[in-house]
Amino acid sequence: MFETRNTRALAIVALAVPALLGLTSLATAQDKFKLGMLVGGNTCCEWMKAQGDVARALAEKEGWDYVELSNNNDPAVALKNAQIMVQEGAKAVIQFNGQPSSNPAISAVMKAAGIPIVTYDIADPGMYFVGIDNLAAGIAGGEQLGMIIKDKWNCAPDLVISSEGAGAGIVNEWRTGGMRTGVKNICPDIPAEKFVSFEGSGDAAVALQPARDLLAANPNAVKMAVVGINDGGVLGLINAAEQLGRADQVIGWGQDGAFITGDNVNPHLAGSVFYFLEGYAVYAIRDVIKPIAEGKDVPLKADAGDPASKVQPCPVSAEQAKAVPDMAERVTQLLAAPAGTTAYDLFCPNKG
Amino acid sequence: MSLAPAIETAPPAMPFKARLGGWGTAILLLSVWAALLIATGLYRPDFFAHQTLLAIAFTMAVVGVLAVGQGIIAISGGFIDLSQPAGLILSGLIAVRLSEAGLPLPLVVVGAVLTGMAWGALNAAIIVFAKLNPVIVTLATNFIGLAALYLIFQLAQVPNGSEIYHFGRTNILGLPAIWWPMLLIIVVTGFLMRSTRYGRRTTAVGGNRAAAKARGISLKAMRFGTFMAAGGFVGFAAVLFASAAGPFNPSSASTLQLNVIAAVILAGISLAGGRGNFWMLLLSVGFLSTIPTSLVFFGLSSDTQSIFQGVLLMIAVAIDGYRARRSPT
Repeated sequence: MFETRNTRALAIVALAVPALLGLTSLATAQDKFKLGMLVGGNTCCEWMKAQGDVARALAEKEGWDYVELSNNNDPAVALKNAQIMVQEGAKAVIQFNGQPSSNPAISAVMKAAGIPIVTYDIADPGMYFVGIDNLAAGIAGGEQLGMIIKDKWNCAPDLVISSEGAGAGIVNEWRTGGMRTGVKNICPDIPAEKFVSFEGSGDAAVALQPARDLLAANPNAVKMAVVGINDGGVLGLINAAEQLGRADQVIGWGQDGAFITGDNVNPHLAGSVFYFLEGYAVYAIRDVIKPIAEGKDVPLKADAGDPASKVQPCPVSAEQAKAVPDMAERVTQLLAAPAGTTAYDLFCPNKG
Repeated sequence: MSLAPAIETAPPAMPFKARLGGWGTAILLLSVWAALLIATGLYRPDFFAHQTLLAIAFTMAVVGVLAVGQGIIAISGGFIDLSQPAGLILSGLIAVRLSEAGLPLPLVVVGAVLTGMAWGALNAAIIVFAKLNPVIVTLATNFIGLAALYLIFQLAQVPNGSEIYHFGRTNILGLPAIWWPMLLIIVVTGFLMRSTRYGRRTTAVGGNRAAAKARGISLKAMRFGTFMAAGGFVGFAAVLFASAAGPFNPSSASTLQLNVIAAVILAGISLAGGRGNFWMLLLSVGFLSTIPTSLVFFGLSSDTQSIFQGVLLMIAVAIDGYRARRSPT
């Protein structure tokens, strides 16, 4: 009888200890801030993966839990990922959604769950906007190219070619439209018929064939300026011109700075606009996520014109870009810098 | 004198198709291609220019070599290889890495071709040992391969100024340097498929597997052989692709697939196996490569080409099905 009682007591203690430990650790886990990151998942660009790497490193520095999912550049996947973030108990979420048609639904899911969400570069009324003003970045790049057109061709190019990436939706319109506007700001008398475009999908390899066809269809054009949604799209046309023996007839200015650093820069890419996309998490965490984690009330600023945190565009010529390290090195230096230091602070040679 | 005996002894009327020999497909393709060229030239006389020729020839090069690989799979009864994009990018990545290491172009080619052959052997091993449908297997390996490649790299590019870089931008006799190997490969493969025992066996296996087996042909060995040979062509196409494409990522080759399959079917290489003439690929690839260029000369957006390619593919598949039903079994 006594043995039975002791055995029961021991059993109760044996069960209670791990249960208590479990409850304690559960309480700790629930107290711990968890940051969710939805990376874009478009294979076009190295920076999409780097955005996740930087966010993870910064979250770990803060002692937060971190969970990352890829949107696979698919609006339906992005929505599903948002729902998973709710189930995962994320306290705040950052996303880059290059297919923003699902943003209203994602916004509704997050609002219902009471989870604040930061969106990069593509604004949504229910999300904190962190990013670049794409239109302003487009105009800045276009004006730089316009100055080259003015110097070199006296504002009389045969064509101003735009390498579009229609899949990016409004971002494409802002960037390529902004670049055309920027060119016109410097050279207002270029006739409308000189502006032509082709679909390059923002991918140099995919842009190559339609770019060759466009060049072939304009055999008399010998002074061609190229703008595009990104460096890759612009490079597609430059490569096509090289293949048709017309490389010296084109000058390109890109966006995003993906192909303007390193040893492999094409000499006909005159410049680009850096956003230092890999380092966006610094802005998001410094201005939105960390204050929320500290229990502060952060007013929702969802407009690109009045953002929660503004990323400054950094237009650079190819010559200036030689001083900018490549992305891997930038990430290393960014993570080693004091908290809150942005890539723009560290690397932009043209700080305004 | 009665005419009756003469009528009785006259040879039977020869069907029009038989009178054409096996060249009906060629005449049809040439006619359609010529019509497209003439229509575009009438609309825009500057279409007939060296720049246009270069643009079309560049487009033909990679698609043409891939179509030879796809044609070998089709004629041997493997239906189609849907893993070509992954095989191309994998081999292209090897070509980039080897050229970054400073290796001469011939060694870069060898490395890429061997990689393509290894990719083909992997497909064949799964198909043969797991006894699975080639279409399903290659669909799956393409997904797996591309996903694995995403983990390995985001962008690859041959070094500016390297031997392979110049190869993708040089002209020989007024045509792109990368076009000539495509021409050679199609001509030689067409000859080998007709004139060698391996070629005839490949076609025989595709035409009637049971009969081929009864004649002592090892179906497993043939499947390995065809997938490895096709993989070798994918590896070579990867060199052409890497030399010309500039920076590429794992999804950069996905848009080629539809063109390659359409080229094989339009060339009359039966997806059911056992029938086809590889020389017709020159015409089908040339025709398909002319379409997007013509569309731009007509002032239509180059992305409308997908509509034309889709419609053409449907017509080609319908013709292929009709041929298969009409052919003697």
